[in-house]
Amino acid sequence: MKRTNDFLVGGVTLVVIAAVIAAVLWVRQADVGQRQQRIVARFHDVGNARVGNAAVIRGVRGGHIDAIELAPAGWVHVRMTIDRDVQLPRDPVVLLNESSLFGDWQATIDERSSLPHDETVRRQIIEASGGGSVLPGATLPGIGKLTAVAGQIAGDVANVAGRVEVAFDEQAARELRGSIRNVADLSTILSRTVRSHASDLDTVSNQLRAAVLSLNHTTAATQRFVARIDSSASSGEVRQFVNDMSAAAAELRLTTSQIHELSSRLAKSQTRLDSFLASGDSVLMKVNAGHGTLGLLVNDPSFYRRSDSLVLELRGLVADIKANPKKYVTVHVF
Amino acid sequence: MTSSATPIDLPASTPDSGTAASRLVESLGALVRRAFESVGSAARFAGETVLAFRDVRTWLPNATEQARRLGVDSLPIGLFIATFTGIVLALLASYSFTGAVPLYFVGTLVGKTITLELAPVLTGLALAGRVGANIAAELGTMRVTEQVDALETLAYDPLSYLVVPRVLAGTLMFPLVVASAMIVGIGSGWLASVFLLDLASADFIKGLRLFFVTFDVQYGIVKAASFGAAVTLIGCMRGLRAQGGAKGVGDAATSAVVYSAVMILVLDAFWAVVWLLGREAVS
Repeated sequence: MKRTNDFLVGGVTLVVIAAVIAAVLWVRQADVGQRQQRIVARFHDVGNARVGNAAVIRGVRGGHIDAIELAPAGWVHVRMTIDRDVQLPRDPVVLLNESSLFGDWQATIDERSSLPHDETVRRQIIEASGGGSVLPGATLPGIGKLTAVAGQIAGDVANVAGRVEVAFDEQAARELRGSIRNVADLSTILSRTVRSHASDLDTVSNQLRAAVLSLNHTTAATQRFVARIDSSASSGEVRQFVNDMSAAAAELRLTTSQIHELSSRLAKSQTRLDSFLASGDSVLMKVNAGHGTLGLLVNDPSFYRRSDSLVLELRGLVADIKANPKKYVTVHVF
Repeated sequence: MTSSATPIDLPASTPDSGTAASRLVESLGALVRRAFESVGSAARFAGETVLAFRDVRTWLPNATEQARRLGVDSLPIGLFIATFTGIVLALLASYSFTGAVPLYFVGTLVGKTITLELAPVLTGLALAGRVGANIAAELGTMRVTEQVDALETLAYDPLSYLVVPRVLAGTLMFPLVVASAMIVGIGSGWLASVFLLDLASADFIKGLRLFFVTFDVQYGIVKAASFGAAVTLIGCMRGLRAQGGAKGVGDAATSAVVYSAVMILVLDAFWAVVWLLGREAVS
């Protein structure tokens, strides 16, 4: 009996202790046999994240937070256990954020390039970078913080509303009534003006109608023209026409360039001609004024007469030389 | 001393009121004295029991038998209570959470409540009735039939021979029963959530793991050990002080159960104040 008691008590004790240990390990998701990988991320603040919160990768739970501990230089280290099969992103960062409205938090492991466009988050990540194997982390504001901000905004709105209430007193109401009355008067004047110009508007409207009819005719003609072009296009005439036009355009371009060259040459010739004419004009003016030899020759008759007598004398001399060459030319051999 | 020279003499018209007041004060003093007397005698009994642990050869042979009787034999009642506690707790949680709180918090509530409070306290109260009454009746009968006197005559210390094995067994086996009750209670709550509430098994586990810390189990186990020690000590004390035959034994058993139940609740509050107060819910 005594041995039976011993065996029974010992057996129950062992079974219960084993069951409790196994249950605790299972609930805590303890890494028995080192089948999981461990990562550490650092944060300035971890919000309401707690041990046991989920570690999520691409929206899927891949592990959990193992420990949260204070680290030197104002950092908080969050140790996470991730399933060994899970592949981390290439440049991983860790975001702590609320996973529900009921205070649950989670650690989201994401790629740095997929960070939300939030200046604060990016700054936190940059500050937490450079920790070696420790991943950079940032904490998104919790619902409490957002609610506080919303409350602050609501307070500001209430303040503004209060100020409006203060500003909108009896005087302001009277002025507003006056403004409304002015607007009513203005509206009356406008309606009167519109009535008086109604006939003009009718005329304009008729002209507009005629213009629209004309436009309709034009549109119909254009449609017929387009139909013809369409039929021509379908028979290949347009292609031939376009080819011819292309060749003509090429020739026209060549001719244009030649004309352009010719005109530039003409311009140069004109410049030279202008210069020449200016020089000739200057010379002729000098000649007319009697300046220079030619001027004197043109304008002095005595010089002409002396030249004429000189020519006559030269003719006599030449005749004399022909008649008596020995008189003028003597040849000595020795 | 003349009557005119005694200023504390009471007026002749109220002689009875003076007597009534003094009686009231006397009864109040007697009440306080009895309260302190019972506390003092209990403390003295506990101290003598601790001293009796030195006589190992006397209490060791009986220890496993008491462990079986108080612990192993108490497992069915403990597990039975835990099973229904888990089921009811899951249903109550779902009833309270519907439409406001995510249903996976049923797992959180069942786990936390069973581990921290219900398994130790309900099991402790059940064992207070079973074990406390059993011990008080057994030892009371031994006392009124002078078996205890016979032991003393045989130079056996009744505390070493009768009390120490029971207190030791209660202190060590209560945690085992409570730990089993924790597992079974959470398991029954899980099954109730899955089959009665249409809550996904993964959701229950998610809620269970959400705020689970090993401390919860430690807290429940330590509390259970203290309950075991208190219940067995009270049972032994009441039993050994039984007087007057069968009626005395019955009174001893009754008072043992009552005092044990009260002591369990007092200790529950004590541990909550000492160990839980100021501690973060999750760490």
